[in-house]
Amino acid sequence: MLTLIDREIRDNSLCVALPCLIGIGIIGFAIFVAFYATMGSSEILLASSGILMPVLLVGFCGLGASQMYSDRANRISSLLATQGVTRSRILAARVLVGVGTVLASLVPPAVTILILLWAFLPPLSFYGRMVVEIFTVAILAGVAGYCVGLLVSWTTSKAWLVMGNLLLLSLVTSLVWIKGFGPDVMAILLLFIVAMLWHIWHTFTSASL
Amino acid sequence: MTDNPIVVENLVKYYEGRCVLDGVSFAVPRGCIYGLLGRNGSGKTTMIRILLGLEPPTRGRTVVLGQDSTQLSAKTHGRIGYVAEGHHLIQSYKVRRLIGLCKGLSLQWNDEFFGHLMETFRLPLDRKVKDLSAGMRAQLNLALAMAIDPELLILDDPTLGLDTVARRQFLELAIDVIQRQGRTILFSSHILADVERIADRIGVLVAGKLVVDCTLEELKSRVKKIRVIFPDQAPNDLYITEIVNQQKQGREMVLTVANWNPQKQAILETFRPESCTEIPMTLEDIFIECTRPASAVVPQESEV
Repeated sequence: MLTLIDREIRDNSLCVALPCLIGIGIIGFAIFVAFYATMGSSEILLASSGILMPVLLVGFCGLGASQMYSDRANRISSLLATQGVTRSRILAARVLVGVGTVLASLVPPAVTILILLWAFLPPLSFYGRMVVEIFTVAILAGVAGYCVGLLVSWTTSKAWLVMGNLLLLSLVTSLVWIKGFGPDVMAILLLFIVAMLWHIWHTFTSASL
Repeated sequence: MTDNPIVVENLVKYYEGRCVLDGVSFAVPRGCIYGLLGRNGSGKTTMIRILLGLEPPTRGRTVVLGQDSTQLSAKTHGRIGYVAEGHHLIQSYKVRRLIGLCKGLSLQWNDEFFGHLMETFRLPLDRKVKDLSAGMRAQLNLALAMAIDPELLILDDPTLGLDTVARRQFLELAIDVIQRQGRTILFSSHILADVERIADRIGVLVAGKLVVDCTLEELKSRVKKIRVIFPDQAPNDLYITEIVNQQKQGREMVLTVANWNPQKQAILETFRPESCTEIPMTLEDIFIECTRPASAVVPQESEV
């Protein structure tokens, strides 16, 4: 399993590194705002994070797309599946890397912002809960975006790759945009993720490699 | 442990409405080198891909090392060495990295044997797979398949694209594997001389049907090519069953008959031929006769 995870990270190093770098960027920006901005620091901080979120979402979708499209185009699983592994394990390693990247990109900024809010703003429980909700939805939306990449990109058609990803990604973004960051959005995203993962698993384990 | 590492039962495969495999059944006994022959598009690669679980069957069942092919475990996969037609290795990888990946995924890795193979083939470790020649890719694929000490080795046209020297090296390696007790090989090829040299059982696929499944010696003894000269014009029908091919020209008739026996000989004698001589056949001759569009099926052992 570790070999498969290592392969996924190395083969998609750019797509793994980019969201993590954006996550580091959010941390840096949060620290800058906390120490140097004087007016409405929390608003600036949250608004900036909000701008970076769609970029991150595209990045996560890109990671899923890169993993599946390069696999299909280069027939990687066709070789891997004849080694001492099963298709389920290949997919599990892939998803672990994707979800790991989402968490690695979003959890450290969330923790940093929580600490900064606690240190620099009045001790209101409202802020903490808000940040937790925003980042939980962001993580779920990130995983959903990643799953969209996985789901749509098991194809050899570049047109479908671009159009399908854009369409489903717009759906996820619109959902968050319209419904905000509440528990109902979390539930919908969670259902969306489970359904997509189920479909991806079924497609990947039964497809011709 | 089953005595047949490969069992195929009534296998049917359709691709977009086209029947690629049509009720194929056979078994490969342990320690056997099974040569699977057939023309392009006869279904050899599809059959091998179904055996490895890379392709789902439409109907029927394939069992490899005691497990259904559609549900092969990682452990079973780890006991199978596979050399794919066209050697689909990961082209963007350097040789060293590909070796590392295959070694990491293997359940057992024979470093000594692999080192010996790499020395024999002299493969450059720092070159990308896509920059290797077809022959080098074939050698790398073979070395990777052999390094896991496979209980079952499946080779899909492995010598395709190899020069004569590399082909000879490959055959010697295959023989080396055979000598390791209990190893079973399923081997498809277009080069009949190679198959004739190492296979001890032959299967011939024609348009998705297995028309031959027997030992090489049996096949050679069962299919006979006979030149018959008649006193007058050769008759239109000899009333002999299982005629694979029949060519008539004036008084002369050349017959290829499956399962030649004294009864068929007696039927032929009733036409009082002037002479009746057997024409020696190589595996290639038999293959060509069997794969002609109108050829009869050579019944399998149980039917004889």
